[in-house]
Amino acid sequence: MTFVDKINDLQDKKQKLELGGGKERIATQHEKGKLTARERINKLFDEGSFVEVGTFAETSCIDFDMQKKKAPGDGVVTGYGTINGRPVFAAAQDFTVIAGSLGGMHAKKIVNVMNMAAKTGAPFIALNDSGGARIEEGVEALGGYGDIFKMNTMLSGVVPQITVIMGPCAGGASYSPALSDFVFMVENTAQMFITGPSVIQAITGEEVTMDELGGAKIHTTKSGNAHRSFENEDQCFDGIKKLLSFLPDNNLAGLPQYECTDSLNRTAEAIYDLIPEGKSGYDVKSLILQIVDNADIFEIHPDFAQNVVTCFARINGKTVGIVANQPNVKAGCLDIDASDKAARFVRFCDSFNVPLVTLTDVPGYLPGKDQEYDGIIRHGAKLLYAFSEATVPKINVITGKAYGGAYIAMNSKHLGADIVYAWPSAEIAVMGPDGAANIIFRKDIKDSSDPVQTRKDKIQEYTDKVTNPYVAASKGFVDDIIDPAQTRQYVAAALEMLSSKSEARPKKKHGNIPL
Amino acid sequence: MMKKFLISVNGNQYEVEVEEVGNGQSVQSVQPIRVAAPAPAAAPAAKAPAAAPAPEAKAAPAVSKSAPAGAEKVSAPMPGTILKVVVDQGSVVKRGDVVCILEAMKMENEIVAPKDGTIATVNVQPGASVNAGDILVSIA
Repeated sequence: MTFVDKINDLQDKKQKLELGGGKERIATQHEKGKLTARERINKLFDEGSFVEVGTFAETSCIDFDMQKKKAPGDGVVTGYGTINGRPVFAAAQDFTVIAGSLGGMHAKKIVNVMNMAAKTGAPFIALNDSGGARIEEGVEALGGYGDIFKMNTMLSGVVPQITVIMGPCAGGASYSPALSDFVFMVENTAQMFITGPSVIQAITGEEVTMDELGGAKIHTTKSGNAHRSFENEDQCFDGIKKLLSFLPDNNLAGLPQYECTDSLNRTAEAIYDLIPEGKSGYDVKSLILQIVDNADIFEIHPDFAQNVVTCFARINGKTVGIVANQPNVKAGCLDIDASDKAARFVRFCDSFNVPLVTLTDVPGYLPGKDQEYDGIIRHGAKLLYAFSEATVPKINVITGKAYGGAYIAMNSKHLGADIVYAWPSAEIAVMGPDGAANIIFRKDIKDSSDPVQTRKDKIQEYTDKVTNPYVAASKGFVDDIIDPAQTRQYVAAALEMLSSKSEARPKKKHGNIPL
Repeated sequence: MMKKFLISVNGNQYEVEVEEVGNGQSVQSVQPIRVAAPAPAAAPAAKAPAAAPAPEAKAAPAVSKSAPAGAEKVSAPMPGTILKVVVDQGSVVKRGDVVCILEAMKMENEIVAPKDGTIATVNVQPGASVNAGDILVSIA
């Protein structure tokens, strides 16, 4: 072969590789509403920026006629490129090649780019579309999963990890998503479960469809395993890009800084109309939109545990993580799922130096037998732990109710909040005035000639004396009481002041968060 | 376990199905037997849901802990007291319409219809204490 022949041969080989499992399989993939691994990468990365690594890697397995099935690339495309000009590493499983099944080399390629992501400090994105472990490779495939899980853990808190489920993701494969920071799913085409419908039917006799068991809807609403779902792959790519715009490249890099076109001194009188009188609920998201830059937020877990809202936004052009109780859902109380959701979000923010802003309007932890039996104590403790542990700037605005343990859990001064503001409408107390009056003034009410009136008077007395922000402010637990319309100004100023915050923690290997 | 009884009330014969469900709660299901009952079979005894889907279906009584098969149950998200029931059996609701108000966790919480439809059953009355998961109304 001449030199030129060799070059031509290379071109031929690469052209063939581009086709993955061949035209027929690509057509089948398209029929399902799915793109191929390379098509996905082209859509996700800046045009022409993606550079493949491990292009010619293939399995060395020859058991069960694997040499006949093996294909260059081994069912996964790995490499690096830029998304909106910023470096990102990715591994995209190619369902057209041996069903994207994971064998030793497939896993090695993924681990390799994860390693590079760690060394260079760039986010890692996995696009999952795989039939699962390659059974022919036996324990080698299991070992591959294990290697990936370990890398996921090593990368945790070092670079952001996003896993996107774009097809089946079954058995051991589903633990890599679980170990990453954010999991997105594409509706209808993505499923994720530990044991599939056939196994469940064989063992328990229960009939369940793939979608009922592990579709996007279930994981974004009920199990909380996925953070967001998207109607189709294109929307999913837009979602990934939007999320990345809020994240730093790694735990040592600064947050991306955008030009702020929204005045920091903008007052928001609209807030006056937003908060209802009396005991009615309201949508806290409308309040968040009033406070952040250009009413632009990206919610994490928008459909799961909706009684707490967690989202990224910007104030003065820089990312903040917002945690807010949602009075419209379950009165905004904290329950097991809400505690898990908020705690994990807080820990992500702290890992990557994203300042935390909380909007507190919480009536308490949800009472009930189910909650107690399912461990609200240890789950609720996660939120206490997460806020206490966080060393990023922590700002809390108490807008309404702040009762009992939930008051403490919601980024209170006691857990180390740097600045706590309260609106004049804030109610901060151990319990509501009705219940408290019944206990404190039980004797007065009982002995009164007009118990109904006395009770009413005493509730009012308790409200005046205790259930307001001035008591907490007098004790230093609230730094100032502010006009709600000026919340943006105050929060922006506090963030600016805290931008150089540095707080040390005792030396330790790692803490032991209640799980 | 479904048990069937035949009961005569004022000359009208009713077939009553009694189903035992978990937690010892019994679900009553009343339906006139069309064939056996005398001609103008008005149903005086129980309030059979006017707009319940297909009378042959197991229709639930007005206030109970069950909903007709196929109807979407709207259940209490948390324990509390029913302050107001906004809809009646047969009311047509749109997704997002308030069906009742649950006073819980120091708030008056609007419970909204999860889908468009007709109220098949109203399972609670104002003043009722409910637990998380209790059915408030069902929508067919």
